[in-house]
Amino acid sequence: MRQYEVMVILDPDLDERSIAPALEGFLKVIRDLGGSIEKNDIWGRRRLAYEIKTKSGKKVSEGIYAVVDVQATPDAVKEFDRQANLSETVVRTKVIRPDQR
Amino acid sequence: MPRYTAADRGKPRKKKRPDRALAARLEHVDYKDTDLLRMFISDRGKIRSRRVSGLSVRQQHAIARAVKNAREMALLPYASASKGSGR
Repeated sequence: MRQYEVMVILDPDLDERSIAPALEGFLKVIRDLGGSIEKNDIWGRRRLAYEIKTKSGKKVSEGIYAVVDVQATPDAVKEFDRQANLSETVVRTKVIRPDQR
Repeated sequence: MPRYTAADRGKPRKKKRPDRALAARLEHVDYKDTDLLRMFISDRGKIRSRRVSGLSVRQQHAIARAVKNAREMALLPYASASKGSGR
């Protein structure tokens, strides 16, 4: 088990109420593979420093940011990252190990 | 703002005043701390060189890595090519 910090940018067109459930859906893999979610911080809508073209070809200048602290195995986080990036609602993800340096 | 800018070059350097609060934030540089990172990029978005930023090798590495991570997540801009439009 390792400490990870995962950042996800979701599609800004996503409904306010469906943010938490959508995020929960992605995090389910981590729980299923024996990990635990320690902190779930949804920043909300934030302006992007530059426009990003989403998977569906749409250009977005905003994003819904969420930072999640997770305790999980490397495989679990890898699988989470893979699944999240398959989704159309996810603009970008980043996995960081905060204890590294 | 950085304490030494290109305009300061050639002028006698002012004595470095240790900034404890800043030093603490540089201890563990977080890519989400965009306020801190913005102090070490130019208005065009480029990372300031070590001789301008006045950082130690270790700190400069940490800042550079954090800026690049922040750019990937659109928290900071990539260097803009055109003059003046420094977002």
